[in-house]
Amino acid sequence: MNRIDASAHYSEPASSASQIPSLLTIVVDTNPRAWAAIADLLPISKALANLLVFVNAHLAFGNDNHVAILAAHPNRAVWLYPKSPNPDFRAASSRSNSDVEMTDVDGRQDGTSAAAELGGSANKFPLFAQIETCILASLRSLIDSTAPSDLNPTTLVSGALTLALSYINKMRHALEPAKTSSDPANPTSTAAMATTNNSSPTDTGASTLHSRILVLSVSDSEPAQYIPTMNAVFAASHARIPVDTLSLYGTPTFLQQAAFITGGTFLSAASNPRGLLSYLMFGFLADAEARKSFVTPTQDSVDFRAACFCHRNVVDTGFVCSICLSIFCSVPENAECLTCGTKLALGNYGAKPAVAPRKKKKKKIRANGTSAREDTGSATGTPAPT
Amino acid sequence: MATGTNSLPQYLEQLPGTTFRKLYQQPSTAFAIFRRMLPHMAKTIVMAILYSPTPFSLSDLDLWVKPTAAREKDQAIAILRLLHIVQPQSLALTANFKNSLRLALEGGGDHNSFGVPSTEPIPTEVDHMFLDKYARKKWDDILHYVVSATGITNVQTGSSGPKQSVKDLLLAGRLVERRGAELTITHIGFSFLLQEANAQVWALLLLWLEAIDVANASGNRSDMDSVDMLSFFFMLASLEFGRAYSTDALTESRRNMLPTLIDFGLIYIPQHNTHQFFPTRLATTLTSNETALRSISAGFSAATSSTSDEQDKCTIILETNFRMYAYVHSPLQIAVLALFSNLKFRFKGLVSGRLTRKSIKNAVGHGITADQIVAYLSTHADEQMYRHAAAANKPVLPPVVIDQIRLWQLDTERISTCDGYLFKEFDEYKEYKAVADFAENIGVCAWRNDKKGIFFATKVEQIKDFMRSRRKANEGNNS
Repeated sequence: MNRIDASAHYSEPASSASQIPSLLTIVVDTNPRAWAAIADLLPISKALANLLVFVNAHLAFGNDNHVAILAAHPNRAVWLYPKSPNPDFRAASSRSNSDVEMTDVDGRQDGTSAAAELGGSANKFPLFAQIETCILASLRSLIDSTAPSDLNPTTLVSGALTLALSYINKMRHALEPAKTSSDPANPTSTAAMATTNNSSPTDTGASTLHSRILVLSVSDSEPAQYIPTMNAVFAASHARIPVDTLSLYGTPTFLQQAAFITGGTFLSAASNPRGLLSYLMFGFLADAEARKSFVTPTQDSVDFRAACFCHRNVVDTGFVCSICLSIFCSVPENAECLTCGTKLALGNYGAKPAVAPRKKKKKKIRANGTSAREDTGSATGTPAPT
Repeated sequence: MATGTNSLPQYLEQLPGTTFRKLYQQPSTAFAIFRRMLPHMAKTIVMAILYSPTPFSLSDLDLWVKPTAAREKDQAIAILRLLHIVQPQSLALTANFKNSLRLALEGGGDHNSFGVPSTEPIPTEVDHMFLDKYARKKWDDILHYVVSATGITNVQTGSSGPKQSVKDLLLAGRLVERRGAELTITHIGFSFLLQEANAQVWALLLLWLEAIDVANASGNRSDMDSVDMLSFFFMLASLEFGRAYSTDALTESRRNMLPTLIDFGLIYIPQHNTHQFFPTRLATTLTSNETALRSISAGFSAATSSTSDEQDKCTIILETNFRMYAYVHSPLQIAVLALFSNLKFRFKGLVSGRLTRKSIKNAVGHGITADQIVAYLSTHADEQMYRHAAAANKPVLPPVVIDQIRLWQLDTERISTCDGYLFKEFDEYKEYKAVADFAENIGVCAWRNDKKGIFFATKVEQIKDFMRSRRKANEGNNS
């Protein structure tokens, strides 16, 4: 029956005609040390004002564009907007405050924000005012609850990335049409739906929501976080979420790799952090739909160095476990992989490579080729994430 | 939805540049036009140059846009020029638009164009549900009035219908006509009925604008200015649903507009306190783009369904054998369906019927286009249809049926006319080719004949600019 419905000459899929909402998740690096270092060039208040304009510009694109903002702090990741669903978390983390006082603080915050909203919104789009007050209030409480002992030189970007990914996943499911058919009379549609869901879970999600992550980075990548960061990056790549990075200070090596792996944009504004807004508006405002038609900024060189699993050193060359692909800067003890425990044979490591004389007959080369491959392991490269 | 100047883009297009300059003085207007009227690429371009410290040239843009997207780029620039957002011949934003959009994004200034909230307490009975119900009733009264003129069904709504002023407006806009004592619906009225709620609201507001323009031209009631009215509409669109705003902060002429807006159901004013007004969902969704409307109207019906037992919900299942099943309660929706289909059975909550050649021809004879019918069917398609389409990666409506509706329409319309300009007698083929290609890229070329070197365009301004700049470039090269 459905063979004759002539859909062959309609190349457009069902939903592509409509404008797809896009979700922008911003991770702001709020490392106090790093911001203090560039305070002369770009104080955080100014950077935040620029960021808010950028957020408003994104929301101006359409009613159904969404935004979510996270702060990556030296010791934790915190939601700035929308507010964290469990406010108890903040109460618990703001050390040594009793419950009574905390509710008091909350009450005062609400009062001031409401007053600010009433006063300012005649000249401001209501949603913009709401986001601004929300971010400022959460950031204020984050800064207030930061103790001097928390001041690490690096930032927990991986945690914020993970939170962002889970939020994107949640939004995707919220925007997806109901999966289960309420009509038992038409089991074919549910079956078809189920198979498409199983085979490519990202396809259905990608068509309902374009999402991307933007990291505003001010600090170096911490080698200790190599594994969690990369896990988050590969998850993002699998879900086809580009991770963009604008670096204001320092060298975020892993985020650079993240942009490369996920097809995002990496820009370094370290030479001129005052131009933050121009960087944001020009380089990062285009969403997945617009990026199809614009040339996006590319990076001329990517620092691909990885951190080893044993000492968290960034290494150029190292040893890789042939089973689990863990990286080591030196041969692990007893030649046993620290991650999976496989006993590894080093072969004749360090020996002078034997140069095989060139064979004259082609037949023999082919025979030799297979045996040589067995020696060195698999011939196929690392599977690329799709 | 090409129905005269009934749609907003067409209305805006014919406004002169000075009007745009005035409109863009209000940040809310600039913001609303940015949101509602521009294609995605144009938005990205505007945002990129909004805060750019150095001027952005057209050649820079060529570098930025991928060659595969050149067509969209030309279209985007054409629309930006048409709306006077960028200056002709260059890519600099017009001063008023730039300042206003910046203000809208930054939230500074002292323009009060996003509405002054009322500080007085909000009456307890006014909540989201109340406002939705109120707006829906007001709007349905208007629709029922138009539908009652079809003569197909006698709709008993039990209410008094819209106010006399609204009736006059519908008459003046030729949505309905008075023939003797009886009202009959015109083809404009038919296509009005088939539109989405949002487009209907705009159609009515534009009718009102035109009526005011005519009245002003004839010299009476000159306290309202259509430009000011338009920017007031855009301001309404930027208000927050469910919030009270102060009427005292409005200008005198805007306050005079409030009674009519109440008649349309766009705002609500509590009887005991006339110092505050509430925008309804009809007003706050004015600048949502058309594609977002499915979800919004869904939200609308979801909000009202709990109170008015799914009164106006209408979902349609359309099969490949031209049969149509509509889950519908409201006589209004049934009347609309009867406009283009041959209804056979009616049960409680369900009508079924077929699309036939005769029924479609009938509808086309009334001035309804096939596109309108298709648009209506697809916006009201059942959730089941959407799910099925998404699973099979196919269009929502069965393409055979869509094609056939179009073909049936073509049966009746062998000739179509459009006003425009014929370009002929080019000096050389190369020049013809360049100009015709440009016209095609910006989407104004209606017909071309490469052999004879002539083409026909519906709009001429941008082609003129293009030819002028080309000639200039040529002269520059020769000298």
